[in-house]
Amino acid sequence: MKTFKFPARHGYAVEISPFIPTRLACATSQYYGIAGCGTLLVLEQTETGISLVKSFDWNDGLFDVTWSESNEHILLTGGGDGSLQVWDTANPLPGPLQVLKEHTQEVYSVDWSQTREENLVVSGSWDRTAKVWDLNRGGQSLCTLQGHEGVIYSTVWSPHIPGCFASASGDGTLRVWDVKTGRCRLAIPAHKAEILSCDWCKYDQNVIVTGAVDCSLCVWDLRNVRQPLSRLLGHSYAIRRVKFSPFNQTVLASCSYDFTVRLWDYSRTEQPLLETLEHHSEFVCGLDFNLQIPNQVVDCSWDETVKIYTPLCLAAPLPSAQ
Amino acid sequence: MHRVKVVFGHLSPPNTFKSHSDPIVSGAECRALSASPDDIVVVHGLRTAFGKAKKGSFKDTTPDELLSCVMTAVLVDVGLSPERLGDICVGNVLQPGAGALMARVAHFLSEFPETVPVYTVNRMCSSGLQALFNIAGAIRSGSYDMGLACGVESMSLRDAGEPGDVSSRLMDFEKARDCVIPMGITSENVAERFGVSREKQDAFAFSSQQKASQAQKQGIFDQEICPVTTKFVDEDGSERTVTVTKDDGIRPSTTLAGLTKLRGAFKPDGSTTAGNSSQVSDGAAAVLVGRRSVVESLSLPVLGVLKASAVVGVPPDVMGIGPAYAIPAALRQAGLTVADIDVFEINEAFASQAVYCVEKLGIAMEKVNPNGGAIALGHPLGCTGARQVVTLLNELKRRGRRAYGVVSMCIGTGMGAAAVFEYPGP
Repeated sequence: MKTFKFPARHGYAVEISPFIPTRLACATSQYYGIAGCGTLLVLEQTETGISLVKSFDWNDGLFDVTWSESNEHILLTGGGDGSLQVWDTANPLPGPLQVLKEHTQEVYSVDWSQTREENLVVSGSWDRTAKVWDLNRGGQSLCTLQGHEGVIYSTVWSPHIPGCFASASGDGTLRVWDVKTGRCRLAIPAHKAEILSCDWCKYDQNVIVTGAVDCSLCVWDLRNVRQPLSRLLGHSYAIRRVKFSPFNQTVLASCSYDFTVRLWDYSRTEQPLLETLEHHSEFVCGLDFNLQIPNQVVDCSWDETVKIYTPLCLAAPLPSAQ
Repeated sequence: MHRVKVVFGHLSPPNTFKSHSDPIVSGAECRALSASPDDIVVVHGLRTAFGKAKKGSFKDTTPDELLSCVMTAVLVDVGLSPERLGDICVGNVLQPGAGALMARVAHFLSEFPETVPVYTVNRMCSSGLQALFNIAGAIRSGSYDMGLACGVESMSLRDAGEPGDVSSRLMDFEKARDCVIPMGITSENVAERFGVSREKQDAFAFSSQQKASQAQKQGIFDQEICPVTTKFVDEDGSERTVTVTKDDGIRPSTTLAGLTKLRGAFKPDGSTTAGNSSQVSDGAAAVLVGRRSVVESLSLPVLGVLKASAVVGVPPDVMGIGPAYAIPAALRQAGLTVADIDVFEINEAFASQAVYCVEKLGIAMEKVNPNGGAIALGHPLGCTGARQVVTLLNELKRRGRRAYGVVSMCIGTGMGAAAVFEYPGP
């Protein structure tokens, strides 16, 4: 387990670079994100630990971060002041390259699309809207998607369907949007509680997972959403973020207000919980799988640390499902 | 300190969740796709054949007889005792006081126990659907678990036209004055104001007749019609007993050329004719509605799930545009779009308004009234809404896969009503 400590900042989101497997970024906020500034940390994983490459300050809390899919130096964050900031690690100046200000409340999620021809970004905000931006085309959003009746906590592009993303909201619904028509294609009342996170399966374009305040994760097949494929119980407080493994179709990781990170295999009907990691002493808000180093996981917490590790359950070959 | 509140919200016990509600988009939006034990479901529905008023099959039949026939048949079909009913609501327009007495008489003609209550509702052309909304609402509010929503009209025995007692001051208020415009004139208004040509209206009417005759020939209506045995007085005054199983307003012989020759029925140079307006008819329909948990516990089938219900107001002088406003309101509630709907049952009060609404909403014409509508079948005012629900759900069932459908109609004095149903699949 490698640890990086960043005093007086609380981790909200962490993401590994799609270009450099040892590079990661962490969005943090002062005073638990309730007030004060934010800092974007760019970190490098070394043989022995984690070192700071660069940090950028912003005058409001930073809640999410996403790496550019087209330029290894570019990152984008979402902030408490409703703005998105574009950062360039190759830029010697301390400020952002660009600031996109349209949301009227906290931006809680940002995600860079993997469609390489376009530099599409989706942002989700507490103003209940999601906005899609094309960073090749200036500072105005391409479209604003309305429909959620609660704040939006999470917006994630489909890795399979162009122009399609999912959003998770405080209104208890998961929605799937089509950017071309600007419409909501599906509204799933996924939980009778606020949904804080969602993620797409990397192997099946119809499978999506939601994590909610009701402490449960639900895996959905979008072709039949009458009931979840699987409901995973184990967390004792709200689930803050959930991610599907890039290496195994049915494995996912979740982090929670219960200070734990848990790994699951939803195909196992008997014992889907593979492992519980209790290495943090505060809410765990950020989580990511390394796309290039199999089974490596990174997380960040309000306890002022980022941790990189390979969960034991993934290090060993998975026991076959029941 | 909004952020503190939000984070504390994440730490609160799960059962404190309140779904957000916006006055227009209700929590129903969040229910669009999942089965809940509290769902309002349709178990079964039937209608009588529709007879042409004053000369058709039911010209000598009182509405209580028609109503009693469907009420009984629906319960017999599914083997449910009438004692299970928490209430019966009957849509009716033309009987005095919407036929409160007639409905209770029908109830006893059906030999339902006196302990079961019955009442009537009049929201004009949507009364049959409003009856279903009323039953659904009472089930949802927990008053009871199952109810019967009906609609009935004898247009042979009662005429529209008696306005009741209204203030002479209605002439001082434009909208109030517009409420007494004859329905045919509101159709002319829609055609003129929104440019619905005579050709389009006649083509729509022709298509309605064609679809209905095709459906009748194929026996599609047989599963939704319950036979009525009644008396019929011939021209020579002799009385005989007949059993009516077929709609008598459908005209397979109607041609487009024939429709084109008809004169304006409401205005000399008008485009609304007897051929492209709904027929004046007699008929009844009944729909058994219940809470899913109870319906399933009684091992009754689920023919449809009520996903949304909306009634909206529109200008009285173009009342026919009602569906163009009610359908989007209901779809919004259900979290669905026009594209998600397989079948629309939009009442054909007049071809003018039906065409306008279909075009305004961008609905593919082949999704609209696949078995014809009121132009061919007839429009017994208080019954129509319930009849449309029966026809819609039977059509979705016939298609055999999970799908959504919409029932909608315009309402005199300027309103529109719409409901979204889901057929859950076989």
